[in-house]
Amino acid sequence: MADFAGWEMPILYNGIIAEHKAVRERVGIFDVSHMGQIFITGPDTVAFLSYVTTWDMKRQKDSDCRYCHILDNDGRIIDDIIAYTFTSEEYMVIPNAATIDTILSWLLENSGDFDVHIKNLSNDYFCIALQGPEAPRLLGQHLNTSVKPFRLARERNTIVSGTGYTGEEGCEIIGPSEEVKGHWESLVDMGAEPVGLGARDTLRLEKGYLLSGQDFDGTQTTLETNYSWVIDWDHEFIGKPALISQKNRTYAKLKGIMLDERGVLRPGLPVFYNGNEISSLTSGSMSPTIRKGIGLAYLNLPINSRVTVEVRGNHLNGHVVRLPFL
Amino acid sequence: MSLVPDNLNYTEEHEWLKFGKKDGLARVGITDYAQDSLSDVVFVELPEVGDQFTRGDIMAVAESVKAASDIYAPISGKIVSINEKLEESPELVNESPYEFGWMVLIEPEGEVNGLLDAASYRESID
Repeated sequence: MADFAGWEMPILYNGIIAEHKAVRERVGIFDVSHMGQIFITGPDTVAFLSYVTTWDMKRQKDSDCRYCHILDNDGRIIDDIIAYTFTSEEYMVIPNAATIDTILSWLLENSGDFDVHIKNLSNDYFCIALQGPEAPRLLGQHLNTSVKPFRLARERNTIVSGTGYTGEEGCEIIGPSEEVKGHWESLVDMGAEPVGLGARDTLRLEKGYLLSGQDFDGTQTTLETNYSWVIDWDHEFIGKPALISQKNRTYAKLKGIMLDERGVLRPGLPVFYNGNEISSLTSGSMSPTIRKGIGLAYLNLPINSRVTVEVRGNHLNGHVVRLPFL
Repeated sequence: MSLVPDNLNYTEEHEWLKFGKKDGLARVGITDYAQDSLSDVVFVELPEVGDQFTRGDIMAVAESVKAASDIYAPISGKIVSINEKLEESPELVNESPYEFGWMVLIEPEGEVNGLLDAASYRESID
């Protein structure tokens, strides 16, 4: 077990590699109840969320989900979130566990000019992710429903969305905390393999998904993370002027590093180019699918550049790759 | 319940040793308990043949997906052979910790003492 933003969470249930493969090949189940649920309601909900995120929520239809960033005034990422559109006057925002309080204060602080009501219900809701090629079948059996990618379905207090953090088909189920056990047990009975934080990290890393607090820690902009696709430039939002001025400069961007020789990459390991230390890994592991050491680092280097990563005094050869790894 | 064979010596750092009856060389690996706590071993960094170690030195590193774990020299001595199969198949450490997953062969130097027998090691992991 590990402490994760105050939550006791299992690193693994059965073995990281077995759990990873279960998600890629069959179906895995994750208890991600530590994630936040902040509800925003009121006539100015769309205008407000468009102002505080990189996305123009006017483009959302009812039942759409949208991944985007919340930036500070300097364009730096405070957190990445998914915005759930129930109606134009009712949204739910999912921040990461460690940033719920920060995001909540930030939203309240910037809501002065908007007619909205902001309510943190993070402790009242569970979230279970069901991920893998067999996830749609299990969801059908379990709740007699289906959901397309980045769409949602709501019945009373239970919300099912076509979202996840593994790059596989699947969904996330959100509902009242006291109902978590029933959902979990019935999905496990149907064959969903419980997956811990260890495989959650390798699954998302293979797909190049960002880990809040690690791949961005409050000092990087959306442009630096190479996630400019989450920005709708045709609307005004906090941090936009800073991003516009950064666009015209050169800056290091988050890229993948893959080892050419055997080894495992870890966050924090130094990265060298032509013998000079130029960066350090923000994430790193061994890809259970590719069976190679993979990592992420902010680099001002083109794809395919040869780099080395220093592991216990040895320089391991690798090269810069375009994300995702898989 | 971890497997602790009776015929081996152990350290509190979860290594096992098996001394050759004729040559006195010590075959060394990590115990079933250790491989189970590490979970899937995906990479093993071994020393080179000829390297000298004093007891307690970091001699090798076993990496799982989640973490790297140092493996300490259980006795002082010289590395006379390493299990090269672990380069291609690090998972042997999990699958066969006491046999195909062995790591190094050490020629002991000086007096060998302070090792645990199976019963004492079993107690230490209880």
